[in-house]
Amino acid sequence: MITKQTFTQFGKTLKGVMLGSAVALSMGLTALPQQAQADETCMSPYMAKIVGQEDYVYVWTLGVIGVGDEQDKMVTVSVNPADKDYGKVINSISVGGRNEAHHSGFTDDRKYLWAGGLDTNKIFIFDVHTNPSKPTLHKTIENFVADSGGVVGPHTTYAMPGTMMISGLSNNKDHGGRTALVEYTNAGDFVATHWMPTDEKLNGAKKSGQFADGYGYDVRVLPRRNMMVTSSFTGWNNYMMDFGKLVGDAEAMKRMGNTVVIWDLHTKQPKKVLDVPGAPLEIRCAWGSDKNYCFTTTALTSRLWLIYEDDKGEWQAKDVAAIGDASKIPLPVDISITSDDNQLWVNTLMDGKTRLFDISNPHAPKVVFEEQIGKQVNMVSSSWDGKRMYFTSSVLSNWDKKGENQDQFFRAYDWDGTKLTKTMDIDFVKAGYGFPHQMRFGSNALYSKAPALKSADKIIASLSK
Amino acid sequence: MKNKLFYCLLISLLSSVSFAEKMNTGAPLLHGAGDDKTGYETKEYKTNSKALTTRVGQKANLIALVKQPPLGLPAVPVPSNNPITVEKIELGRKLFYDRRLSLNNTFSCAMCHVAEQGFSHNELATAVGIEGRSGRRNSPTLFNVAYAEKLFHDGREDSLEQQVWGPLLAHNEMGNPSPAIVLRKILALNDYNGLFKAVFNKPLSMETIGMALATYQRTLNSANSPFDQWYFGHNEGAVSPSVKRGFKLFAGKANCIACHTVKKDNALFTNNRLHNTGHGFRVSTQPRPAKQFITLAPGQTIEIDSDLFDSVAEKKPNDVGLYEITENTEDRWKYKTPTLRNIALTAPYMHDGAFKTLEEVITFYDQGGVPNEDLDPLINPLHLSNSERSDLLAFLNSLTGSNVDQLISDAFAAPVGDIE
Repeated sequence: MITKQTFTQFGKTLKGVMLGSAVALSMGLTALPQQAQADETCMSPYMAKIVGQEDYVYVWTLGVIGVGDEQDKMVTVSVNPADKDYGKVINSISVGGRNEAHHSGFTDDRKYLWAGGLDTNKIFIFDVHTNPSKPTLHKTIENFVADSGGVVGPHTTYAMPGTMMISGLSNNKDHGGRTALVEYTNAGDFVATHWMPTDEKLNGAKKSGQFADGYGYDVRVLPRRNMMVTSSFTGWNNYMMDFGKLVGDAEAMKRMGNTVVIWDLHTKQPKKVLDVPGAPLEIRCAWGSDKNYCFTTTALTSRLWLIYEDDKGEWQAKDVAAIGDASKIPLPVDISITSDDNQLWVNTLMDGKTRLFDISNPHAPKVVFEEQIGKQVNMVSSSWDGKRMYFTSSVLSNWDKKGENQDQFFRAYDWDGTKLTKTMDIDFVKAGYGFPHQMRFGSNALYSKAPALKSADKIIASLSK
Repeated sequence: MKNKLFYCLLISLLSSVSFAEKMNTGAPLLHGAGDDKTGYETKEYKTNSKALTTRVGQKANLIALVKQPPLGLPAVPVPSNNPITVEKIELGRKLFYDRRLSLNNTFSCAMCHVAEQGFSHNELATAVGIEGRSGRRNSPTLFNVAYAEKLFHDGREDSLEQQVWGPLLAHNEMGNPSPAIVLRKILALNDYNGLFKAVFNKPLSMETIGMALATYQRTLNSANSPFDQWYFGHNEGAVSPSVKRGFKLFAGKANCIACHTVKKDNALFTNNRLHNTGHGFRVSTQPRPAKQFITLAPGQTIEIDSDLFDSVAEKKPNDVGLYEITENTEDRWKYKTPTLRNIALTAPYMHDGAFKTLEEVITFYDQGGVPNEDLDPLINPLHLSNSERSDLLAFLNSLTGSNVDQLISDAFAAPVGDIE
């Protein structure tokens, strides 16, 4: 819901108003009757919403040698208690090859789910609207590297109005960490490559500290502040390498990202490079119309960072909390912000724990809950109301725990504000699927017939009242 | 007129400054990983990253480096059945940088032999192949590989034409399951249409792929280093007194020359033989330390238990060197003597990239390697003073060829084959 308060903030600049209108248009044109103010908590603000109970979780799953057909696959789990197949895998579609399945994201109309392969650079586009219970492979982008001018490792696939913004992790010259954002139309046509700022080519950005590494990882936006933000991980050499080998290679360990970049969302120009040392990964921005901040966590240094706009309108980075015992390198991975912006779930790979931080004061987060989910844990997804939590285990095919420590699962829990109660547990290796990674929610209601939409003019008129 | 004279003098001065700087550092301008991590362990570290969009180069006249190799190199050995031609070099260069030659289209020869990283890999101790599969050994430099009588660290191949099929078919390198798969793939690529026939007057085959790739690699000849200009070119001012003292040690007290050969008219700095220095023995037989240091971010290094990451680590494969090829007990932990040409550009060192700097390498040999049953008798403690170590280092740093930038620039200009 866009409130009057929100729109007052748009009024800071003409560009802001125009952008705000674009957001409103985008949201309005894709709005469905049951979507007034609900969504999973970490999705693009440009995207259609799910209210209440999700029906399906789509799990982008890594193929593993020795497990099933050994291919990457999109696995659909029925998660609506009202469904006869509740708790079961109801569909699995193999895509060919082990592509290093990693992240996935819907287009703004939520009809297609784009799933990237960090190794082969293929992007698989699944049709999730024709039959949400049975996604089909609609199209595969195979020439991402050539299109983009050498970007490798399509990571985040993030909905923008009519396009998908894809953050790269590496490049085809040295398989290191220098990379770019790459934009495609929803139809799958290449639009542009936006290179991450380096010392040699800051592209207009201000290097605010000591670092401008040119690395990439996640991308998020705050449209009302005309802000896009990216984080930085590492290149192909490292993310594909055996994790034990990596930590023993001192030179390779220097090839880690230490930056967060603030971009002009409208022009796609980098504006400021912030020092955030230790491989900042997932970014989650607050939803509230008066909250101009995002969070990220640094994987190696085990810190929670606040990326915020200060009183002078300058974007800053601030280390605001420790995550576990940093000396044991718990390795924070996925995070999930609650829809009221008051809490943040933080998973740590090595100890298999999830921690809930109270972020009601974003400058001083505090841990209020902690629980072991498995021998390792990576992704966490929450329903908009925060009552249902989903966890998967895999981080990267060669970083996951091995041998007797292997633990590859999809687990669901109910959350009552004080405790997690497990409702679902699927062993993805035993079931022959592979290593489960990112989860996205599906809903039958999303694609049911909608009433007549308001015209854009009416939406804008109502917003300005 | 005055102005013209002033500018001539200025240009001359700037040129000499630039030359002097180059002579002092010995560092080619295009060499170096794109995101320089020098000083990363310190709080003062600042990035010095290059843009990928400026990584563009200029095609070089590579055949000239075969027909008339730079000062300090002997005539390039060329097999009689694979004479050098410009067209063959061009085809081999195209294949070398083509990522489609791997099973999943992600890996070319150049992903491990990165031009601006000494045609080796400065960023990794040991190689990483397709799907992230682990290699046991450091990617060797391809500078002057034309002269190598044995290939791979264990010397298991004799010719470049045959060697190229090792990485193409290795499960942990480019991962192709058979030669036929490689041939079929190239046949299906439009941009190779008719190229092999035109170059070889023969169809695409295992033989012609090997010949093309070998021919390109045979052009990567680099010498005319400050050392060459002094020692073979008789230019006394080409190197510093420290370099000269270092060479005296190299050829005398330290006796490095026993394996890193220097002849009267040229020097390959390798005897093309394999030796047990004790390093491989130590890695295979000694328990790992209980603690290790790990750098988490610039200036943030902590000590951890070495077993902290065992749960996410595959079992480290053993490496017994030449023994794996011959199964002769006395060949345990023998590895090929690497050339020292361009040694300043090809860190990390030893067959497993265990030593990050040349200083560490000098320390290792100064200590006499690691004693073991099969230690090469040429390896003995050297008892070098600090100034001698410094001179030896200066000598090693004087071995950087004058045409390195030319070869890197040519590599930058080469097309990178990706699916279009």
